Amino acid sequence: MTKLVIEAIEVAKVLGSGAAQVRALKGVSLSLKGGELALLMGPSGSGKTTLLSVLGCMLTPTTGTVRVGGRSTEGATLEELTKLRRDNVGFIFQSYHLFPTLNATDNVRLALDVRDEPTKEAVARSKEALAKVGLSHKTGAYPRELSSGEQQRVAIARAIVANASAILADEPTAALDGENGRAIMMILSTIAKDRSRGVLVVTHDARIEPFADRVIYLEDGRIVREEQKIVLTSIRSQTGSG
Amino acid sequence: MPLVFKLAFRNLFHDRLRFVATLIGIVFSIVLVTVQMGLYVGFGRMVTTMIDHASADLWIVPKGTKCFEDPSLLAVRNQFRVRATNGVIDALPIVVGFADWRIPSGGTTPVFIIGSDLRAKALLPWNLVEGHLEALSMPDAIAVDRSYFDRLGISGLDATAEIRQQRVRVAAVTNGIRSFTTTPYVFMDFDRARLRIGISVDEATYILVRLSPEAKVNAVRRQLLANISDIEVLTSSEFRNRSIWFWLFGTGAGAALFGGALLGIIVGTVIVAQTLYSSTKEHLIEFATLRAIGSSNLYIYKVIICQALISAVIGFFIAALIDAAIVRMTAATALPIVITSNLTLSLFLLTVLMCVASAIAAIVRVTRVDPVVVFAR
Repeated sequence: MTKLVIEAIEVAKVLGSGAAQVRALKGVSLSLKGGELALLMGPSGSGKTTLLSVLGCMLTPTTGTVRVGGRSTEGATLEELTKLRRDNVGFIFQSYHLFPTLNATDNVRLALDVRDEPTKEAVARSKEALAKVGLSHKTGAYPRELSSGEQQRVAIARAIVANASAILADEPTAALDGENGRAIMMILSTIAKDRSRGVLVVTHDARIEPFADRVIYLEDGRIVREEQKIVLTSIRSQTGSG
Repeated sequence: MPLVFKLAFRNLFHDRLRFVATLIGIVFSIVLVTVQMGLYVGFGRMVTTMIDHASADLWIVPKGTKCFEDPSLLAVRNQFRVRATNGVIDALPIVVGFADWRIPSGGTTPVFIIGSDLRAKALLPWNLVEGHLEALSMPDAIAVDRSYFDRLGISGLDATAEIRQQRVRVAAVTNGIRSFTTTPYVFMDFDRARLRIGISVDEATYILVRLSPEAKVNAVRRQLLANISDIEVLTSSEFRNRSIWFWLFGTGAGAALFGGALLGIIVGTVIVAQTLYSSTKEHLIEFATLRAIGSSNLYIYKVIICQALISAVIGFFIAALIDAAIVRMTAATALPIVITSNLTLSLFLLTVLMCVASAIAAIVRVTRVDPVVVFAR
């Protein structure tokens, strides 16, 4: 039986206060299973990023329940949320957010260093993670020496290196051309082959739908539709890497 | 290399101009503080140099004496009562006082005469570079420091001049016995010094007391105070502190030195705080990313504190080089800047403290960073 890595039940989130108050999420329920790659799609302002922030323990819901790695975020302090995130969640950002002064290995190693992993093991695991995303030849390269696609791969390696059970990606292909976007999605779908790990991708990019097991459509803070995809298996078998 | 250190180091060197500004702030601050504190130490040493070189466990001084160079008089016969006190091995009167030195080529200049019994060796000149102590027992013999030759209008050993219309001859020359008042010290035999200063034969300025090893200082002091009126009995340490206190705080010189040092600390802290804060602000998205990937507040504080410590160490090293040059340049002046190992250690700790305190503003800023901003960029 595949386990739930993240679960949201009737989550609502109100942002701002007074006249500027916005109900960004209005009772969203969703779950992400291990071995699954789900896409979260919807127009701008539909609440995708807010939902990602809530699921990633960066924001707490105004009402409703979020469980990450089986633990509820209700009543958690900021440091407890940080620990929950550290233990369970890996993030991939649209703008990569790599540290320009660190090389690829050290950028990946940061995710282990914040978990107090000893240096020697952390370096070895970082290089392994870079190898998994096809960058074993660029371990010493700095972000400025890498292409956009390569930078995003480093960011993916950083997200997976600590064996997070939930990988949350915010528009990971938005800044990439079609070829690099497909390559990134192939890597993410390969990552999602691991049944202990689920991948949730927020995207506007309809070209990556074929990589998804499931597509969740969000509009005006509500889930309006969910589609189970069946083409994924064939695409995954085409990638063949792992 | 620990990643926290590497990140801190790279953050600093990423913007070299800002880092240079940080270092200038630290160096300026520490050099200023060092000069002020070095002057304080140098001043303190010069003020107490005679006390430090006297061979005494206790000083009997006229009541109300403020410092070594504040000569009042006490009865020399008191030495016999002192010698009769339990625990006292010896009591040695010395005289000190100002007199006019007649320059051989014309004119006069004030000198500060120190006269003691040459055989008892209570307070003799040290650092002799020419002549011998024994020569001071000759009639008219004196010892002066070579740094005052020009001031005294003499050329060296065997030069002659007059004090109180009485001939004196340079029989020994010292090196480095300088007076912070710029008045040259002149050493001579006790009896002749009394004549040159103009003190009667039954008067002295101080009585230096040597105690037996088993004597209890406070018990001896109590007996002396009970037996002799109008005196104070001070240990060397007490007399030293009294002299320093008088010259540094009685005259306002100390307040000026400490005020300057405080100004240096404030300026340094503000500059370092400002540059660390702006550096942190520029790297805010990176700190937000760290928060997003699960770093604790402590981890981020470590990065910022590490930046502060790296700045402190490099800044202190540069400041130390400049300080060493200043020490060399002032070594032969009337008021040398003296840097002791304790002062160096204290300054290093001060630099570290200043830089870490400067990091507080940056830490407060980072504490408020919301990891959600990583999605907005």
